[in-house]
Amino acid sequence: MVKTSVSELPKRTTRSCSLTESARKQHEVQETVEPLFPSVFSNFLFREESISLDVLLQHFPGRRSQVLEILQLIGPLNSPMIPLFVYGGPSTGKSSVVTQVFRHLNRPFVYASCCSCYSPSILFQYVLNQLFLLTKNLRNDFSSSWSCERASDFIILLKDALTQFVSVVGECSDKSDLKQSTALGDGKMIYLVFDNVEMIRHWDGSSDLISILFKLQDLLRMVEVGLIYISRAGPNCYYANIGSTEPLPIFFPDYTEDDLYEILMRNQVNPKLYSSFLRVVLKPFYRVTRRLDELSIAFQPLFEKYREQVSDPKLLPDETMNRRLFDNIQPHIAPSIDEIMKVSSLQLQQDNTGKFSNEKRSAKKFHGNAAYDGLDFHMSLSTKYLFLSAFLASRNPPTLDSAMFDSTGGSSNQKRKRKSSEASRQEKDHNLQAMLLKGPGSFSLERLLAIFQCITYVADCYPERETLDNQMYEDERSGATSDVLLQLSSLCEANFISKSASCSLEGFTRYRCTVDEIIALKVARSISFPLSKYLYRG
Amino acid sequence: MVEKKAAAAAEASVLLRRRLCDSAFIFAPLRSSPDGNYSKLKFLISNSITEACNNSVLILGPRGSGKNAVLELVLEDLRGEYQDMISVVRLNGLLHGDDNYGMKEIARQLCLEHGLLFSKIASSDDNSRFLIDMLRECGLAHKTVIFVLDEFDLFTQGKQRLLYGLLDAMQSLVSQSVVIGVSCRLDADQLLEKRVRSRFSHRKLLFVPPSVEDLQRLVERILYLPADFSSPCDFVTEFNSKLGKIFVDKKFKDVLGSVSNVDGSISNLLRFLFRVVSSLDLESGLLSLDNFKTASLSIHRHPKMENIRNASILELYLLVCMHRLEVKEQNSYNFNSIMKEYKAIHDAYKSSDCRGGNACLRAFEHLLERELISFTDTRRGGLSIEYRPVKLLVSPHELHQGLKSYPSCPVILQKLLNHETYK
Repeated sequence: MVKTSVSELPKRTTRSCSLTESARKQHEVQETVEPLFPSVFSNFLFREESISLDVLLQHFPGRRSQVLEILQLIGPLNSPMIPLFVYGGPSTGKSSVVTQVFRHLNRPFVYASCCSCYSPSILFQYVLNQLFLLTKNLRNDFSSSWSCERASDFIILLKDALTQFVSVVGECSDKSDLKQSTALGDGKMIYLVFDNVEMIRHWDGSSDLISILFKLQDLLRMVEVGLIYISRAGPNCYYANIGSTEPLPIFFPDYTEDDLYEILMRNQVNPKLYSSFLRVVLKPFYRVTRRLDELSIAFQPLFEKYREQVSDPKLLPDETMNRRLFDNIQPHIAPSIDEIMKVSSLQLQQDNTGKFSNEKRSAKKFHGNAAYDGLDFHMSLSTKYLFLSAFLASRNPPTLDSAMFDSTGGSSNQKRKRKSSEASRQEKDHNLQAMLLKGPGSFSLERLLAIFQCITYVADCYPERETLDNQMYEDERSGATSDVLLQLSSLCEANFISKSASCSLEGFTRYRCTVDEIIALKVARSISFPLSKYLYRG
Repeated sequence: MVEKKAAAAAEASVLLRRRLCDSAFIFAPLRSSPDGNYSKLKFLISNSITEACNNSVLILGPRGSGKNAVLELVLEDLRGEYQDMISVVRLNGLLHGDDNYGMKEIARQLCLEHGLLFSKIASSDDNSRFLIDMLRECGLAHKTVIFVLDEFDLFTQGKQRLLYGLLDAMQSLVSQSVVIGVSCRLDADQLLEKRVRSRFSHRKLLFVPPSVEDLQRLVERILYLPADFSSPCDFVTEFNSKLGKIFVDKKFKDVLGSVSNVDGSISNLLRFLFRVVSSLDLESGLLSLDNFKTASLSIHRHPKMENIRNASILELYLLVCMHRLEVKEQNSYNFNSIMKEYKAIHDAYKSSDCRGGNACLRAFEHLLERELISFTDTRRGGLSIEYRPVKLLVSPHELHQGLKSYPSCPVILQKLLNHETYK
């Protein structure tokens, strides 16, 4: 049994894995709707058989000291505890260690992640639901009283639920019914685990909620309740909110190179080959990132490339072959480091905007991909021109518009550039610096339309342009601006252009182009538009 | 024999942990001191019970100094002495800081206590009228209502209608109640509005952190096993004699001194002892000086340093670049200027690992996540990460220390940092 449970466990038990695991667990519980009282209790517990300490330590290479420390602090059966604060970087195994420790101990606990419970009332409800031993659709007569929005109601209900739990456990252990007590888990303690506490800081009215969570021990005054907080941010971020029972900190450091090697080596089909591969790639990647999730994603395509050279998968690589493989993979490493890291971390985008706009996030990702894959998105020709004019409007100072877009089509620009003295170069440097700092500028709709008119007109006059295009521009120019406005809004939707807050003085919306030069140049190349000619460079 | 000993040790550790989590046990000796806060508070409240008068008092002191624990002791003892003559209403500023909800909570608790039906939909006016009526009724029945307002300072944030309502109701002759405010803000009474302050009796009880000698006495009281401990007698004597040896050791006094120097509150000491007890070796079953030493090291952490030590080499490069920019007195910089600096370093020193913009941006995001750096602006719409101005959240000294303790830190980084800072 123990053996099978090992193989069942995912290779890396990161947070996402443990979350899916807990989600699966809930699913299981919901499916097996049984009216019997004790069976509902297993809601708290892992259905699987509890694991031994050795297996537990084996699951988490490099986490030995942390596992032992948590076990020590949770302590023997029926011993009260001071709240724990588990912290460390992402994908260092905090959540999975804690949940697996409880699996090892076989004690009842409630796991609530502030990531999936994204508002106070949902968090409260989730915890209460878990505690009241039944899901909402099991018994409806309770659900009305649970819709608790306020923390004060939550505390009252939580206290009720906990006392109920404690009394039930007490009864069961009095009866010393062996079968029941195994269903309940061991001991009279109940543990509440709050994961991703750092997310709360971005909620509305967060400081109160954090204080309340950290003061639960004082507010409940129940020795039977053990509290564990899991957070990515260190305790220094919460000092202002923590009450008198400051929780005990447990630090999960990032994995070292050896730990990563050991973790990545697990469950490999061809360990010899993979180990020789890791010896080549792990070091340079380790200098850039230490996060297991990123590394494992980065290594997958690289290993495919590495393996291509080996004809027989069963073959054991010898010294000369290693050499050959190394030579093959070496040139790929540096570019792939840069390439893999491109996908913008979504987490951060959320944090910045503080909003959960799915549309926006997917757009961001999409535009990130576009950067190195060439133009893999489709745009109508006029949209491309509009896009470019937006880019120009963002990059060029508005005062230079007339100089750039006069009838000669920006040729005067070249003349001006030629006479650069020492002083003007310094000024240029200064301007460049300022531009780096300021980022793309914002522009009004009128300016965008004016530039759009100009560049489509210039494109019109170009002798080498095909007549087909010309035909289009004729239509375009004669057409109403409503079309352009529609395209503008779709560009906004795709997050190429962002709408900034309307200027209070002028009273209309301003726009800002958020793409970088590389993409703009690619778009320009695809319609053979001389973008760099119009770009002001300090 | 060994098993028996291990069982005894486990039992002992459970007992010690239970003691550490039981504030009544820890603060019990305060009962005996005649001029302590316990006696003062008890005298004050029992006086107003027996004399049938109104009173109000503030209990002030830093966090973790046992304000609430002492109050609980007093209330428990009073309940023993005057069984049916008191009823306690507890409010917490965190939960009931809002005036309306505070009133509601008072009404709810009073209803619960006196077996009345509580209506959820009663308005704030109804509730405050109910409060006045209840106070009159209780006064006529010679029953004292004790209001405990925890986190008292938070009640003063709004219009203070709750405080005014409570204290104003106490002005009448028939009522008989005590308002006890507990706060960690020493200036809590200054926060009161004039109309509230004038109705408040300016009694204050101040809790001060205990001296090192007191702490040592407390440690001894907590850790010594009782003689009637239900295990082989020799285990208790062995355990206690080992402890006695540790307590007189000068090294132990140093450890205790270092713990109380950082934070001299009792709760900090309890956390420290909890670490000690939880690291109790079940095989020998005895505490050693090493337990105390490791606990004192693990309880005080330096999250910033840990974060620096966690950072990858590329992230360190970015940190050093930011530091260089700050030394150059650039008052505002963003990712692009950092990248420029980064490229400049690589051009100047020809170091081997120069990464592209994407990897650097990712490392930059990691730094943001680690909270070693942060944006200076909050939510400027539309600007992408590269352009938003950032700042360092670590001091040059911390960065220096972090690099020093970093395993296999590139020499060039240290050189760059030293060159700039300690020229």
